[in-house]
Formats: sequence, C-alpha cells, structure tokens
Amino acid sequence: MTAQIPILVVVIPLVSSFFCPLMGLWRKGLCYFWAVVALSLCVLASFNTLLTVVETGTIRYRLGGWAPPFGIEYVVDHLNAMMLVLVSVISLIVAIYSKRSVEQELPEKITYFYTVFLLQVTGFLGIVITGDLFNLYVFLEIGSLAGYALIAVGEDGAPLATFRYIVMGTIGACFYLLGVGYIYISTGSLNMADVQQLLPQLYDSKVILTAVAFLLAGLAVKMALFPVHVWLPDAYAKAPSATSALLAPLMTKISLYVMIRVLFSVFEPHLSIERLPITDIMVWAGFLAILGGAVMALAQTDFKRMLCYVVVAEVGYIVGGVGLANAIAIKGAILHILNDAVMTAGLFAVAGIVMYKTKSHNISDFHGLFKKMPFTMATFVVGALSIIGVPPTCGFFSKWYLIHGAVIAKHWAFLGALLLSSLISVVLFFRVIEIGFVFQPSHEGDTHSGGHTVTMDEAPASMLVPTVVIAMAIILIGLYNQTILSNLITFAVPKL
Amino acid sequence: MRILSLMTAVLVGATLIYGSMDMPRWGDPQSPASSHVSPHYLRHSMEDTATPNVVTSILGDYRGYDTLGETTVIFTAGMACILLLRRGRKR
Amino acid sequence: MFEFIVGYYNYWMYVGLMMIGFYAMMAKRNLMKKIIGMNIFQSAIILFYVSTSVKKGGVTVPILEHAHEAHEAHHAVDIMQYANPLPHVLMLTAIVVMVATLGVAVAICIMIHRRYHTLEEDEIITSIKRG
Repeated sequence: MTAQIPILVVVIPLVSSFFCPLMGLWRKGLCYFWAVVALSLCVLASFNTLLTVVETGTIRYRLGGWAPPFGIEYVVDHLNAMMLVLVSVISLIVAIYSKRSVEQELPEKITYFYTVFLLQVTGFLGIVITGDLFNLYVFLEIGSLAGYALIAVGEDGAPLATFRYIVMGTIGACFYLLGVGYIYISTGSLNMADVQQLLPQLYDSKVILTAVAFLLAGLAVKMALFPVHVWLPDAYAKAPSATSALLAPLMTKISLYVMIRVLFSVFEPHLSIERLPITDIMVWAGFLAILGGAVMALAQTDFKRMLCYVVVAEVGYIVGGVGLANAIAIKGAILHILNDAVMTAGLFAVAGIVMYKTKSHNISDFHGLFKKMPFTMATFVVGALSIIGVPPTCGFFSKWYLIHGAVIAKHWAFLGALLLSSLISVVLFFRVIEIGFVFQPSHEGDTHSGGHTVTMDEAPASMLVPTVVIAMAIILIGLYNQTILSNLITFAVPKL
Repeated sequence: MRILSLMTAVLVGATLIYGSMDMPRWGDPQSPASSHVSPHYLRHSMEDTATPNVVTSILGDYRGYDTLGETTVIFTAGMACILLLRRGRKR
Repeated sequence: MFEFIVGYYNYWMYVGLMMIGFYAMMAKRNLMKKIIGMNIFQSAIILFYVSTSVKKGGVTVPILEHAHEAHEAHHAVDIMQYANPLPHVLMLTAIVVMVATLGVAVAICIMIHRRYHTLEEDEIITSIKRG
C-alpha cells in the first residue's frame, strides 16, 4: 500500500472532486467538510512522500507498470517532494479558511466552487509530480481550466479579466505544447529522463534551440514574468478572496518549478548555462520584473492589486536567482519559492479577511483596523516584514542567499534591484500600516461610550486561525531554514 | 496594436520555421519519432494488450493515465460551466 | 530545391495556419473572434503533430491487419507498413483539451454578454469606465 502513495497524492483530490457535487445535492454545507477531509488526506500522503524521499532518495513510480519511456512515470526527488508538501498544505489551509468567505461572496455556488477547488488542487499536484512532458501539459490544462472558472465568479469586472487570462494562458500552454512537439520530433520520446539522455548529441540542432525558446516563452506567460504579466493584476484582484488566496501563491510558483525542471532536468545545465545565453537573459528579465513590479505596486490604491504587483516582483527574484547560475543563488531561489508561497498566502488571506469584514479591499478602507482586528493586522505585519526581508522571518534568509549569489556572480545590477525593492517594499507596506493605525470615526461609530474607543471586531475563527497559522509558519520557516536547506534544498540544486 | 500583433506573429512564425530547418524530412521512416518508441508499441501491442488497434492500446493501456487526465479535463470544463453559468433561483 | 520544399512544406503550412490564429487572438477586438483565433491556433498545432506520423512509401492506419492469426503464428509485425501511432494518441487528448477550453471561454463570453450586452472589447471597456 505504501508503495502506491505517490499516485494517491493526485488521486485523492481527483476522486473526492467527483463526489463533491453529490454531497452538494444531499446537503450544501457538507461540501466544505468533504473538501477539508480530502485535502487533509492529501497532506498526509504528501508528507509521507517527502519523508520517503528524504530517507531513500528519488522515488520512481510507474503508472500501470509499464517501463518508461513506453509508459508514464512519476519521478519524485527532493525538489518535487518539497513542492508537493507546499501545494497540499497551502491548499488545506486556504480550504479551511474559505468557509465564511465563500458563504458571503458566492452563496449559491458553494457546491461547485469546492468541486472546482479540488480539481484545481489536482491539477497543481499532477503538474508537480509527473516525469512525463505530455502528462504535464494535460494537468496544466486541468489546473488552468479550473483556475479560469474560480476567478470568473468574482466581483464586477472579473469575467473580462478572466477572458484576457484565458487568451494569454492558452497562448502559454500552446507554446509549451509546441516546445514539447519539437522535442518529440527530434528525439522521439516524451519522458523527461529519456529526453535528457538523448539530447546531448542534438545540442547543435536548430529544432532543440526553438524547443527551448518556446518552452520557456510558454512558461513565462504562465508565471507572469514581466512583460507578459498583464493578466495577473486584474485576474487576481477581482477574483473571490478564497480563489486569490489559493491561486496567487501557487500558480506562479508551480510554473517556476516547471521552468527549473525543464532547464536542469530535461536540458542539462551545460546547455542552459554555457552553450546558450538563457541564464543571462533570465537575470535581466528578473531585474526588470523586480523593478517593474515594485514601481507599479507603489502606484496602486487597491490593496489586492498592490499585492499582485508584489507577486510579479517576487517572480523576478526567483527567475533572476536561477539565472545567476551558481549554487548559492539557486538555493536561495528554491528557498524563495517556498517562502514566497507562504508569504503571499498569508497576505492574500489578510486581504480576504478585510474584504469579509469591510466589504472592500481598498487601502483607504484600512482605517482603524489595528484596533478592530489586532490579530489579523499582526499577521499582516509579519507578512510585510517577510516581504521586506527582516529577520527572523523567512523572507530575510532567502533574500540573503540571493544577495550572496549576486555578489559571487558579480551581477551588480541585480544586487541593486534586490536592495532597491526591499526599500520600496518598506514604503509600500508602511503606507498601509500607517493608515491602519489612524481611526476616523466617520461611519456608524459606537454608541456605548460616546468616546473614541473602538470595539474589537475580529474575524471569525475559521478565517483567523488559518491566517495566524500561516504567520507562525513564516517565522518558523525562518528560524529552521538551515534544517530545510541542509536536508532538502541542497539535494534539489542541480549539479553545476 | 495591430502592427505590433502582426510583427509578433511574423516573428513567432519565422522562429518556428527556422526551427523546422533541422527537422527530419516529412515522411522519413528513419526519423527519431518513428524509430525510438513507436516500433515497440507496434510490435508488442498484440502480446501485451491483445488489441490490434495500436492507437487504442496506447490510449487505454500504455499511456492510460493521459486518458484519465483527458477525462478529468472534460469533467473540469463541465463543472466550470456549471459554476459560471448557473443562476440561482430568484428569491 | 524541389526536394527541399517537398521535405518541409507540411511544417511551413501548419506554421502559417498557426500564425493566422495567433494574430487573430491578439489583434481582433471582438471576443468571439479571439476565441475563433484560439481555435485555429490550437487546431493547427494538432495538425502539425499528426502530420509527423506518416512514413514515405505509403502507410496505412496503425491498426494491425490479421492480427490474431499473425500473433498465433508468431509472425513479426512489419512496422514500415503502419503509420506512427503516438502522435495520434497525443492529439486525441489535445483535441479534447481544445474543446474544453473552447467551452469555458464561450461560457465566460456568455457571462460578459449578460452583464454588458455587447461582445466588443472597446465597448465593454467604455462601459466599465463609465461605471
């Protein structure tokens, strides 16, 4: 039984999503609990996979018993296992958090929301765990279709934002499929490990060059790399709170994971770093993304849109870190994938709580929230400090490794962008914190005391507890980052 | 905007055609795609799966997981359309 | 020269078709025309893949003939007689994905039409700006 756990990680959310509409026909409130139970089992399976990988090395699971390259194979190594745990834990936390928010924003659509939620998680897990190029495309499309639906049921303006996302997302997925097609035409195989063996004699071929270009271009659209990031701010700002808390941390990070896989496990580091200037282009792309995201974030008055531009800047950190192409920078980039997913989940969870309580996500509506919702705003402060990069939060440590890697690679422009964006983040978040401390009794006010005391009107427990758990995780990951690095990430970095 | 789109489309098309210069000729029986994995499917389809239709045996057996994924895609699209289009009863 | 063209013209044709769809997705203002462009783009990719499965000298579909008798008698399968089955399989899945994406895109167009009563992008943006 335990040998089948890798497939259970994907099958559990998939099968439970089949039963979710039936649960909804019986009683609507059951869907939430069904989704939470399914995702808890999924978290257990993914932790089991992680422990197995740490103890015994890479897991290779053959689907249907057929040997690769004739059948499909799941390959779980350290990078994979970390991503599996990350995706399943964040999905569980967001699912627990989503109850009140979905009841308020989408009262008639609860059943199908949780069905599509589970399908989205299935898509993510399927992308992360597979070792076959075409299987990745199939699960990428499952995740994309579910994402389109989850975003389009948001507020006014969400359908148009989703339509733009569909057009750009389909271009990205089709470019990925074209890249896979070119690899298939020149090597004859679709299995990642097999292609890695067959490629070295084909490095001079124009077909492989084009394949790399199209794979990376398609993934760049999916990960919202500047300048093809234009779909992200509209889509994630107008989506329902539970959707943006699920998609914003995970979708871009999973596309970044696929990019790392393609660059280092399908095309060897020799090709990606030495023969082609891919990594040089990546550092400059990261540089532009960091500066572009940070500057655009300053101009926003809507809290969620500001966070979306912060996400664009974070993608720039990771792309630039991988592009610096030394072991320390890549360690920092992989650690930053973990950290950024947790930080972004926490910040979007705070945005969702503010939306639930004040029915708005405008920065100017943050008045007095520090008195009304102290625990929520404490989580916000922890998340903000982590994005700025203050120890002992996790953001500091990954930024430290990225800066160290930039110094080793002597890439001063990227180093400057890293430091400048920390300064800009300080301005960004302190602006919100300042507004939060000022209370303007312009609305109903309180009738009891007649003075300026504010009653504490904290978020419901089902929303608050997951958010606080994420805040504690931000600090714990920071404190234990050496353990995570030495046991997991050091093995995930490719041999350069 | 139209000029930019036209230039992008021409650039992408030119890159694709440039990439196709080194491809095996159309219909080459010794191309890597026809001589690496496919002969195994054609030769062993009868003994592994007892199915003369090789496309079915790959779809249902060797790469059956992709077919599960495809079925899930249809299910996801169906659930997505219900989520998007179903209007609640007017109270 | 002629052999060069004959060797590659299928790839070029399908790339041209892809670029027609790609241009339509980006440049057209009407949402339905963008969806039609998306369909053309994805269909061209499917045709591109399937065209690589043919082998020169006349091949037939990859369904083994007289398979049961040949299997009983342990005759070998002549692979030169059959087309490459793998691209067909991959593209069956890709066709399904294409149709599913088309369905969700048109559902979103229905949502947009219910709200704004138009499918022209310019008019929708004007309508949003007017509030």
